[in-house]
Amino acid sequence: MSNLQTDQLLQMETTCGSLLYELQIIWNEVGESDAERDKMLLELEQECLEVYRRKVDQANRCRAQLRQAIADSEAELATICSAMGERPVHIRQCDQSAVSLKEELKAIIPQLEEMQKRKCDRKNQFLEVLEHIQKISNEIGRSTDNPSKVVVDETDLSLRKLEELHQQLHALQKEKSDRLKQVLDHLNTLNSLCLVLGMDFKQTINEVHPSLDDSEGTKNISNDTIERLASAIQRLRKVKIERMQKLQDLATTMLELWNLMDTPIEEQQIFQNVTCNIAASEHEITEQNTLSVEFINYVEEEVSRLEDLKASKMKELVLKKRSELEEICRRTHLVAEADGAMEYAIEAIESGAVDPASILEQIELQIARVKEEAFSRKEILEKVEKWLTACEEESWLEEYNRDDNRYNAGRGAHLTLKRAEKARAIVNKLPAMVDALVSKVTAWERERGIEFAYDGVRLLSMLEEYNILRQEKEQERKRQRDQKKLQGQLIAEQEALFGSKPSPMKLQSGKKGPRMSTGGASSRRLSLGGAMLQTPKPDLSHSTKATPRLRPNKKSDLLSHNQDDSFAALSAGRRGLDVAGLPVKKHSFNASEIESPMKRKPFSPVSSAMLSKVNNTTNFLEDLNKVHGGTLQKTLPSNNTPLTTPSKLSTVTDDDENRTPKGMPIHMPSTPSTISVHMQTATTPAPATRPTTTATVLFGAKTIEEEYEEEVEYSFEERRAGFVLPKTLIKTIVQA
Amino acid sequence: MTGVLPNSAGRELSNPPSDGISNLRFSNHSDNLLVSSWDRTVRLYDASANVLRGEFFHGGPVLDCCFHDDSSGFSACVDNTVRRYVFSSGKEDILGRHDAPVCCVEYSYAAGQVITGSWDKTLKCWDPRGASGQERALVGAYPQPERVYSISLVGHRLVVATAGRHVNVYDLRNMSQPEQKRESSLKHQTRCVRCYPNGTGFALSSVEGRVAMEFFDLSEAGQAKKYAFKCHRKSEAGRDTVYPVNAIAFHPVYGTFATGGCDGYVNVWDGNNKKRLYQYTKYPTSIAALSFSRDGRLLAVASSYTFEEGDRPHEPDAIFVRSINEVEVKPKPRVCPAP
Repeated sequence: MSNLQTDQLLQMETTCGSLLYELQIIWNEVGESDAERDKMLLELEQECLEVYRRKVDQANRCRAQLRQAIADSEAELATICSAMGERPVHIRQCDQSAVSLKEELKAIIPQLEEMQKRKCDRKNQFLEVLEHIQKISNEIGRSTDNPSKVVVDETDLSLRKLEELHQQLHALQKEKSDRLKQVLDHLNTLNSLCLVLGMDFKQTINEVHPSLDDSEGTKNISNDTIERLASAIQRLRKVKIERMQKLQDLATTMLELWNLMDTPIEEQQIFQNVTCNIAASEHEITEQNTLSVEFINYVEEEVSRLEDLKASKMKELVLKKRSELEEICRRTHLVAEADGAMEYAIEAIESGAVDPASILEQIELQIARVKEEAFSRKEILEKVEKWLTACEEESWLEEYNRDDNRYNAGRGAHLTLKRAEKARAIVNKLPAMVDALVSKVTAWERERGIEFAYDGVRLLSMLEEYNILRQEKEQERKRQRDQKKLQGQLIAEQEALFGSKPSPMKLQSGKKGPRMSTGGASSRRLSLGGAMLQTPKPDLSHSTKATPRLRPNKKSDLLSHNQDDSFAALSAGRRGLDVAGLPVKKHSFNASEIESPMKRKPFSPVSSAMLSKVNNTTNFLEDLNKVHGGTLQKTLPSNNTPLTTPSKLSTVTDDDENRTPKGMPIHMPSTPSTISVHMQTATTPAPATRPTTTATVLFGAKTIEEEYEEEVEYSFEERRAGFVLPKTLIKTIVQA
Repeated sequence: MTGVLPNSAGRELSNPPSDGISNLRFSNHSDNLLVSSWDRTVRLYDASANVLRGEFFHGGPVLDCCFHDDSSGFSACVDNTVRRYVFSSGKEDILGRHDAPVCCVEYSYAAGQVITGSWDKTLKCWDPRGASGQERALVGAYPQPERVYSISLVGHRLVVATAGRHVNVYDLRNMSQPEQKRESSLKHQTRCVRCYPNGTGFALSSVEGRVAMEFFDLSEAGQAKKYAFKCHRKSEAGRDTVYPVNAIAFHPVYGTFATGGCDGYVNVWDGNNKKRLYQYTKYPTSIAALSFSRDGRLLAVASSYTFEEGDRPHEPDAIFVRSINEVEVKPKPRVCPAP
């Protein structure tokens, strides 16, 4: 090598020497001065030196650059190694080891490249882990720094750091799974709560966080979500507890009501699922919809229904008890409290102002009290009962004694005789009975300090009245006896004068009529006697019933004793006529109907003879009313036909108001009017409205009427329904 | 026909029964109207709203119906049964049976019992709470002298009118025997009996255009007040036509009463002053039943042929609900006071 260089140098020296020789030749030829020659040579030498110096500088610079590059690489290598936490691979060999700079550089470059590659890998690893961490942190909601950018600390890429990061990642992953589990737990709880409460689960969780509803996607597990879930659960649990308490309250009420009212098992069965939860604690109620609003409402409805039922039953019970009380009062002739109290009590119950139970209790108490009182009154009441029956017998006896035909042998006469006998015995005992009663009652009153009331009237006063009455009667009897004696004397005197003796019967004949209609109540007499009222009861008041309460009646009866009913009726009639002068004509309708002469079945034909007769009477009556004024009194006696007793006629007004002379009342206008019209109060339906001429009564199809008129009457409905009485029944009716 | 008299006759209810109307009644609590009919139904109307609220089918023509409370009622049927209906659910149970068609039914609030009368000559009392057990509901059966035609209640009093013109008055607390046994004051078959709202007596109408006003009080003074009067008659060209009086209804406030006859007229009477207060325009056919609402502001009129002349063509059956003017039902002071 050096040989080659020397060769080149030699070559160069040759070229330079030859060039110099050539120059000497040129100069020689040119004849250049030596000075010039020297100067030229010096110039040449300086120029050459300059070139050398430049090259050396260049080489020097290049060396420096090389050294710098090596140093840089080494430094970088060292940095990377330190960042990666590795001991530097390259230990710098001594410079003295005579390795050229270029070699050194060549050796270091691949090392550096290798390290750089490793660093890059490591960095990527870091990035990956950090990204994971970032993501999880985000999910958990913990990321505080900029979430979008992951920054790797380039200075520390050691494995230890990587390990640390991995651990962190694991921790985060664990936390995440924990949270997820928690969320799922919460969701489960929530779901069961929603089921029980009958709420929409999806909607509920949607409200908490929309992602929770998504079964596929990831669920939000941030703190916030968990907190909200927990609060939702809390809230629902509270609702559940509230509802559960409500339901249990309802169930308790329901059980009570069932017990109270003996509700049938089938009815109870329906609500078994309610009542079985009555003692359950909150977590035990898991069945679907047990606490839903609808279900609670349903149960509530049932309870309110039961309560209504209870209320109505209570009311009925109260009514029942009340009527029981009234019944007892009635039986024991106590006067019950005012009727209004009852209605008031019911109203109070209905308005809810008063507890029915308390009223019931009150009534029970009252019943007990009344029963107690009844017990104390029992003995006296029995006696009173006896006394009253005795009084009845007495009055009957009196009646009977007045009957002059009482000894006529008729059917059942022996029975009446027997009764009279008994009655006399009883009547004889009466004064003693009354005395005993009086003393008993006085003792009772003294003992109790209250009056003994019988149907609201003081018994003692009743007895006193009775005694007074009795005395009056006694006096009356005495007076009559005296009179009779006097009469007897008179008759005897007359007999002495004229030689005949009037029958005592005649004197009494006036009394016959009323007795017929009142006394016996035997239907035979009624139908024959033509009593105006078919119900015998009202006329009972005519009889001198000796019970004290009837005393006023009796008195008037005594007064008008010898006059028959016509008197009272007549006066009534007269009263009617007094008013007749006024536009409003008024009649008294004492006894309402004229009895047709014969007892007649409702649909049987009216015989013409009878009709004419009745027509006569009605005509007569019309005339009568036309005559108007005091003539009625005059004409009445002449009307004394055997068919109709005067009493009845006197009470009858004419059959058509239009015929009154005044003509004031308006006759049934066919157009509606507010003018009041008198009622057509004629009281003889059949004869008056069925003149022999043309009146038709819409009883139904004529043929049917004819068909049945001899047999059985039927109503329109019966005819329409085709209802026919069984044959046997018809027979009995026809026979009857 | 309906178009002709909408105003003068009152509002006609839509969906009327398709056959004869046997009875109608207003509820004691509302303006609901219960209607029984020969078309085998009982219908429930809201009279003020003119709405058919319910329809309940029977095994035979229904002769009578009444309310239990506002939500349930009873019916009397030709198939011998007494039924109870719950309107809201349409639930039906048979309370019991008679041996013949049942023609009238009443519910006593005082006794809490249903009282039915039948052509089997018995009166039966039922306890409506005797749930569906066939004869468990029966409280008692009381034989009557004849077939029962009409019954009416006031307080504890029950008046029973039967064929043969018998009238029995009972005390519901002691049904063992009648408190009073009477014979109708009228000479002809009884059509209808209704107690006075004040409980002192009853009005009784017959097939022969006549109404008797009777009193419970048996004293002479009490009986002196009773009387009878003629109504629902027509006199044309010398021919008198007398029509049956099918219905009586007392006004709950004034105690005056309306009568309805086969002449198609409804008359309002003042029983105390013996005056007719009002006559409404003629209805298409016979008046089968009448009922005042609880406040007396409405009067339901059943214009329905009552078969008085057998099977013949007749006007369609209709129910009219008319608003009552006070002047039509209020007793008028006497024109001239008695001296």
